[in-house]
Amino acid sequence: MKNNQAKKWIDQLVEKILFLMALLSASFIVIVVLVIIERGLSPFISDNDGLGQVNLLRFLTGIVYLDGPTFLSNAYGIGYLIISTLYIALLSLLIAMPVSIFSALFIAKIAPKFLGNTLRTITEILAAIPSIVYGLFGAGVILDLVYNLSLLVGVQSSAGFSVLSTVIVLAIMIIPTMTVIAEVAIRAVQNELIQGSLALGATPTQTNFKVVLASAKSGIFTAAILGVGRALGEATAVSLVAGSRRSGISFALFETTATLTSTMLQGMKETVGLDYTIRFSIGLVLMVIILLVNFILNFVKSKVGRVHV
Amino acid sequence: MNMQLKKGTLFASLAVILAACGTTVSSSSASSIASSTTTSVAPAFTTTNNIVLYTRDTTSGTRDGFMGGIGFSAAAKNDNLLTDGFLIADNTAILTAMSGSDKYGIGYVSLSSLNNNVKGLKFNNVVASEDSVLDNSYGLKRPFNWMLRADGDFPSETVEDIAKAFVAFMVTIEGEDTIVGAGAVALEATQRWDDIKANYPVCNQDNTAVTVRFGGSDSIEKVAKAVTASFKPRCGNFVAEHEHTGSGDAYKRTNDPANKDTAVGKDVGFASRNFTDAEKKVGDVALPSAQYGQLAWDAIVAIVHKDNPLLNVNADILKRMYEKDSTNPIRTWAEALTAEAAL
Repeated sequence: MKNNQAKKWIDQLVEKILFLMALLSASFIVIVVLVIIERGLSPFISDNDGLGQVNLLRFLTGIVYLDGPTFLSNAYGIGYLIISTLYIALLSLLIAMPVSIFSALFIAKIAPKFLGNTLRTITEILAAIPSIVYGLFGAGVILDLVYNLSLLVGVQSSAGFSVLSTVIVLAIMIIPTMTVIAEVAIRAVQNELIQGSLALGATPTQTNFKVVLASAKSGIFTAAILGVGRALGEATAVSLVAGSRRSGISFALFETTATLTSTMLQGMKETVGLDYTIRFSIGLVLMVIILLVNFILNFVKSKVGRVHV
Repeated sequence: MNMQLKKGTLFASLAVILAACGTTVSSSSASSIASSTTTSVAPAFTTTNNIVLYTRDTTSGTRDGFMGGIGFSAAAKNDNLLTDGFLIADNTAILTAMSGSDKYGIGYVSLSSLNNNVKGLKFNNVVASEDSVLDNSYGLKRPFNWMLRADGDFPSETVEDIAKAFVAFMVTIEGEDTIVGAGAVALEATQRWDDIKANYPVCNQDNTAVTVRFGGSDSIEKVAKAVTASFKPRCGNFVAEHEHTGSGDAYKRTNDPANKDTAVGKDVGFASRNFTDAEKKVGDVALPSAQYGQLAWDAIVAIVHKDNPLLNVNADILKRMYEKDSTNPIRTWAEALTAEAAL
């Protein structure tokens, strides 16, 4: 009887401790979001030490980052950055998607066991490499390649700092992440489905593309969502190869560009006042964009992710 | 058969594309001129190409010095005045681009970071070097100056003694080593701190409770902090409080009666330019010459790729390159070379 009481008491204690831990980790997120919202909104509602309020509409639609001198102007605009950020994330996804799906398919279903395991380990290691390393690789190798390529096609790029370099670096960076997740999804496809398809006379290639990939669609979409998230949020690697464009939308591959995150990072350590606080506003916009993109992708996933084999 | 036909068409179209590329390259290299470097096989440089401008971002002190030096101070803190297509990069990225990947770029770095992999341009026909900076022949530079409060106007006698010892330390060999380490060009020193420290007995006592306030130019902040860090242990570990807000505050916060005794008052002020005549006096009384002086030069060098034939520029040429609304803009290297020839 007494023993039971003690056990119950321990159960309750453990429950409380776990609850506290969950509360702690959840409150970190809440605190971070609140701080960013509080600081990010202040440029639009305070008079910024005499500079005047930042015009929200202009901020969201402007195509010049700062129309006037730093520290003396409130004319910030990040509309072109929002579009460039989405454009770059989309392009890198277009490159990364087929590469990672096909490598995941190869690793999970086609490769001999030893090769598959080796490749899986390598991909997992690659996915864990910090982005600054990819950025340095980009600055040291990709910039040169892109610059030479631009000369070859008769366009003069600025030392390779360009949309193309940024997209290549981001694609290289998100391919391992996407491959790892897609591979798990593909491996989870039930063997009965595959056997059934083969028994009906489909070739292994037909089975892989029409049955395996179709069944793993939902997991592959998750991989894409995480990949886009990483591409949208990447600052360090992008700032090393983008060229910090200050105005105008750049769709051409050899033009310089900038993203929301790379602009936040630029000069962050050496600035004060509104020029510092405005970076929190950019962060706020970035959070909203990532939420929206995730929402849209999840919606698409729920529409196309249903399996009809 | 059908497949092979398709392949054939593909190769044919590829060949056409490649051939097209070939013609573009060869036609443009017709207008190339050989580089002036001494290598036997001089690489081609297409002068009709556009100039790619590199700049530091608006928070950089080097940018402040460069834009001021070429008479384009408005662009020190304003990206929107620069010619479209410019690239914002840090010191390393500018050097890397000029030393390898971008033949058609131009940028600027402080003299201390200049290396042999890039070509430093002459300014008004003077090569940038420590000597030409110190003998005042090299023009793309600005002075780093200091200013003290008036005698007897410090918070205490100890602070006054430490401030004066600090100024003396800046022009010793140790002080100048620190200044060079922080990226500026130090004046020529002859004495060691050990030779003169006997004149400053305040440094032999424990000063851990004494605070000395430093301020003024934010471009000098890095140098000033390095010097105070190196001087502190030599002078009783006094507390150095740095608040750098701009060159204008060097005089205002040490000697201007309206500001010097407020909460933002300073004991030592720095300015990254010459003091104006109005700043060298309080009311109608001129400041004694021992109350201000120079500690270093900040020299900036415009750099290009080694294959670039350009050798010499002046403030006007650089400004015409960087200024978006220039009335007489320079946008291609051919235009830059014409302007150089007219110097």
